[in-house]
Amino acid sequence: MNKAPWIFMGVLFTLSLSWWGMVYGPATQLGGETPNKGDGTALKPRVGLARQGEQVYRENGCYYCHTRTATGGKFGYELQLTQLGDDRVLTVEAIGKDRMSGVINQAFVIKAHKAVADAQATLKAEMDKPAAAEKNLKTEQDNLKAAEEKLKTEKNKAEDKDPKAIEAAQKSVAALQKAVADLQKSIADAPQAIAAAKKAADDAETHLAATQKFVKSNGLSEADHLTALGISGVTDTNLFSILKLPAELNDTQKELVANAKVAITEGEEQWSEIEVLVRLLKNKAGAQFKLQPVASDWPDMQNGVALRQSVSRDFLFDAHAMPGVMRIGPDLSNVGGRLMDDNAAYAHIYNPQSTGKSSHMPPYRYLFYRKEIVKGDALPSAAITVINNGEAQSVESGYAVIPTAKAKALLAFLKSLRTDSALPEAPLVKQAQSK
Amino acid sequence: MDEEIDNSATIAPEAKPEAINVSCRWPVLFLFFSAALWLVDAALAGVLGSLKVHVPGFLADCPFLTYGHLQANAWVAFLFGFAGNAGLGLTLWILSRLRGMPLARPGFVIAGTILWNVGVTAAMVGISLGDQTGVAGLELPNYASRVLLIGQAFIAFSAILTYFSRCHKQLYPSTWYLIASLVAFPWIVGTAHWLLAETPVRGAAQIPVGHWAATSLVQIWLGCIGLAAVIYFIPKILQRELFSRQWAAFGFWMLLLLGGWVNLNSGAPLPVWQITLSQFASGLFIFVVIAVGWNLRQTAKGVPLLGSDNLTLKFLGFALGAWIISGLFTFSNVCPSWNAILQFTYANTAIRHLFAWGFFAMAMLGAIYYVTPRLIGPNLDWPCAKIYHWIYRLIAIGAVIIVTAGVGMSWKHGKSLNAILVNKSPDVYSVKVEESGDLFSPRLLPAIRSLHAAGKLKSTKVQRKITKTGVEDEISLSDLPGYDAWPAVIQKRALMPMRVAFLGEVFFFLSSLIFLGSMVCLLARNCCGECSPMSLWRQFRGTQAEGGAK
Repeated sequence: MNKAPWIFMGVLFTLSLSWWGMVYGPATQLGGETPNKGDGTALKPRVGLARQGEQVYRENGCYYCHTRTATGGKFGYELQLTQLGDDRVLTVEAIGKDRMSGVINQAFVIKAHKAVADAQATLKAEMDKPAAAEKNLKTEQDNLKAAEEKLKTEKNKAEDKDPKAIEAAQKSVAALQKAVADLQKSIADAPQAIAAAKKAADDAETHLAATQKFVKSNGLSEADHLTALGISGVTDTNLFSILKLPAELNDTQKELVANAKVAITEGEEQWSEIEVLVRLLKNKAGAQFKLQPVASDWPDMQNGVALRQSVSRDFLFDAHAMPGVMRIGPDLSNVGGRLMDDNAAYAHIYNPQSTGKSSHMPPYRYLFYRKEIVKGDALPSAAITVINNGEAQSVESGYAVIPTAKAKALLAFLKSLRTDSALPEAPLVKQAQSK
Repeated sequence: MDEEIDNSATIAPEAKPEAINVSCRWPVLFLFFSAALWLVDAALAGVLGSLKVHVPGFLADCPFLTYGHLQANAWVAFLFGFAGNAGLGLTLWILSRLRGMPLARPGFVIAGTILWNVGVTAAMVGISLGDQTGVAGLELPNYASRVLLIGQAFIAFSAILTYFSRCHKQLYPSTWYLIASLVAFPWIVGTAHWLLAETPVRGAAQIPVGHWAATSLVQIWLGCIGLAAVIYFIPKILQRELFSRQWAAFGFWMLLLLGGWVNLNSGAPLPVWQITLSQFASGLFIFVVIAVGWNLRQTAKGVPLLGSDNLTLKFLGFALGAWIISGLFTFSNVCPSWNAILQFTYANTAIRHLFAWGFFAMAMLGAIYYVTPRLIGPNLDWPCAKIYHWIYRLIAIGAVIIVTAGVGMSWKHGKSLNAILVNKSPDVYSVKVEESGDLFSPRLLPAIRSLHAAGKLKSTKVQRKITKTGVEDEISLSDLPGYDAWPAVIQKRALMPMRVAFLGEVFFFLSSLIFLGSMVCLLARNCCGECSPMSLWRQFRGTQAEGGAK
């Protein structure tokens, strides 16, 4: 290491290695990210006021005390059944007897009800068939006669014999003969078919009775009934009377049916523990399901900081990515989902201590206009208020405090910070259910 | 003061040390004096910013002096104002001495220094007006970085001409470090300027780029200059050979390779491979610490650096210790569970303070203590050398306070950020969904939140029904237990280390004032021989006493 130019080249080479690892590589990967990964979860660009607000956030150095980084943690899987397969036995085999909750059994009951209704409808159809067939037979026989008549006349024509017409007439006669034969056969077979349909209906009834045995009476609420209806996949409104449901569902009930799911694991299971179960459900029982991650040791989720982990795509539309340095104040990755009303948020920015909660944030009074108000005059509607003794008062007594464009932009930016929609790389995480 | 002995290996200086000192005099003094001014500025901004942790309303109505602006200004003033000026000045002097050649083209240095200081001033004004980049640790506005790059190029031109002006049989390790620092600066700031400001990469990609630039600037740029001073002065003053060139070379290349990669937070919103790469680099950083630390320990074997009589040795000994501690902290980031606790706390800032003040400022001030009198003239000493001891003591105490409070107390903050504070068995809530007027039982708070997020919960009022007691009351959503995303206990724990660190900032400020005072005093006494302000004053007093000028 005594040749000066070599040191020079070596330094350049080493620095370019360092650059390649932490600048070129990441910038190429992250620079190529797209808002839409082809699964329907497109990120919305930050536009308008919120985009200006990002500059206010940067200008005032908010990122020194607030992070926008909800961290990851441990989670398990909750396996949610969204649609049952047809066979109860296979389902039991897949998920085990212990997991066959009242709702799932009820769903099979609904399926059985549906099967009974279907079987009876078939039976009725079969019973109606012979009469209709007899009627048809008569018409067809008449038609056959007419066709034979026509064939005869065609054949007996002395002049201008048309071979094509004869052929057509022959064909129609043959077809009608076949139809008549079929009808005769079906009339003959009808008793057998009716018997089979009757048997199927009887079987369905027996199955229903057998399935009903698994459901304990009056153990289920209306919500459970609706969930059972949802996962059974039955949409027949005629069945609602059996389920003691109104024929017309209201919006909440409809939503419950549409989003019906039954958790069959506790949510603490790791993938290796439920892999076999999932494969059985999918390949054998034919059920549909979702895997919902459940936070098990995940402080940021369980403390309500955010609903999922922050990932790089959350910063896709930032002009300046500011993930933050320190949490001297709360994490803001999902602050948009927390801000309840604009007035309270403005009051917090104007005077963080005014809202009653202990806070050590500096006031940002210069983001607001202050106008003295004459005693007795009413506050302008745009003025920021706080609730004091149940009464709305100006955030600073004697003054009307009105947000400037910068404050409005800042709030718009804060409201645009949300992580409450799932991304493929960061699904929404559920809280662990209390036992 | 000991003799002028150039003990750096087999270098036989061609020019005499006195000639070199004379050639360096004005350019380097200019750089050092600017550094002293910026150091006061940096420390003052630090104190004011830190005061806001105690009194949030302090200076709150002045948009130029928000906490964010003061933090950014303090760091920019330190990094570019103090560290840049002092570091470049020392680079020029050490390179000339090691090459045994007078400084080439001092005019370029003067021009570069003027540009450089204009750049730093522009950055400071820009940040106060809200032009900072948003990358913590590299807040330099767009226009300022251009001026700085040009200024540095002027100074580096002179340094590199000096470097290539003569060929020695052997290059002393400090030369490697200094050349690396000269090359690394445009590389790092250029990357940041180009990829974050000029043609910015897309949002998420700015995070690793900003991290790399901010970390490299500290670990590589500052690290190289500071270590060059340590490696140059410790053997020189002890009049010993450096223990091993191989160890030095190993540490040098490893530092260059790993310096930009280390210290990425384990919770950063980035793909996992980048975080793993950073953890891996942080783990390997222990070899840099061992290589440099062991080498210098062996060199100074048997000499207690901190207990030495020589003030320069004390400064550099403390600097070395602080660098090793911050290097060990970097190494600790190899462990994700440790990093997960400290990542969002004051600890990282405290370690940056240790690096900046405890290591870099200490090394620079020690070197300046040695170099400056020699620049002005032979056989000179600081006018009041005793007070220079106080700079050492104050910075040492301040750094110890900040690191102890910063890491120790932040541990509690980090622990509570990583603890589950919400009761695991929440009550049953029933929420009034206004649209349909139905009572709906989501059972859990997140469900209520997501309902609200989806806009289905029109009212901010929520009916709470506690089943155990049967109490029913109406509360607003933000009052719900567990809804509090920032409980008072965390807030208190977050502020405690910063409140204590305020004391350290005050010590830093005092030491910077003493340093500036010493510089002014030294220059006033000795700068222009018979025409210095002090001798003019003496002449004036003398003539006055004789009944002359009145």
